[in-house]
Amino acid sequence: MVHGAIAELGVHARDARQRALIELTVAVTVAPWTLSRAFRARANADGLTDDDLLHAIALSAYFGHLNRIADAVGVPLDYPVEIAAPHADPSRSPFEAAPEQLAADGALALDRRPTTRDALAAWQIYLAGKPGPLAPDERRAIAHRVARLAGDGTAEPTDALDADIRALVDLVALAPWRLDDVAYRPLRARGFDDVKLFDVCIAASTAGVTARIAVASRALAR
Amino acid sequence: MTLAFIGHAESTGALRDVYDRMLARPLPPVYRPKHGGAPGIITAHSLDPELIPKVFGTSSTLNGAGPLAWHERELVNALTSRLNQCFY
Repeated sequence: MVHGAIAELGVHARDARQRALIELTVAVTVAPWTLSRAFRARANADGLTDDDLLHAIALSAYFGHLNRIADAVGVPLDYPVEIAAPHADPSRSPFEAAPEQLAADGALALDRRPTTRDALAAWQIYLAGKPGPLAPDERRAIAHRVARLAGDGTAEPTDALDADIRALVDLVALAPWRLDDVAYRPLRARGFDDVKLFDVCIAASTAGVTARIAVASRALAR
Repeated sequence: MTLAFIGHAESTGALRDVYDRMLARPLPPVYRPKHGGAPGIITAHSLDPELIPKVFGTSSTLNGAGPLAWHERELVNALTSRLNQCFY
């Protein structure tokens, strides 16, 4: 899956270190559970230390949030570009949901990067304690749904999530390029305003950051 | 635009304060938009002003720090965006 994505992109690495960085980024974004101890050993041999790997994992997971929110809001380009940006292809298949769930044991932990760990924790604590417009339980159910989609076995399986909310959450997690007015229509018809829709998107997107880091760092250690 | 957002010029109160604080942070000039306001990716979070320092505080620990070199961080970020088909 990862090599297919790299071939499709047509990116060419200039050396082994850069190739490992590209493979890692693709895996974190598309299928973090596919990483392995063998990949880590190879990347280490190619010059990427464990701290480099963790930095790239957290960066890619974090940027995935910015991508999702930019698409969820549809914010217009406000900087000059030298090469015209391509258009997203809405027909491209969603990312795959994780076929397995990874337990927490033996992770290459974010404790090696305490400033990032603490900043992410402050972000999550803010969202968990936010009084509205979503109920805290709804936000938690969204986070667990997204974590399971990424293969985070420490999240509870959630069947309780409202079907319309779940449909939007799954788009945020697996096909953010399909976020448009049509995607919001079912919840808007039920009275969700933009602040509440944003709350759904932000709960889903935030959970994707922490789940990707957790699953990628666990996968590298097994 | 698919969800509402409030740009820097239209912002007031707590949101305006957050935008001003974001602009006062040290940032390489190449990342500063020419319009002089908060970058679009920050204004994309305008419906939750309190969230903005949390999200971009996390960015500072990743994009303004090592061990990966600047060009390597840009590679990771650009490639992630391409895979997510985000062309903002």
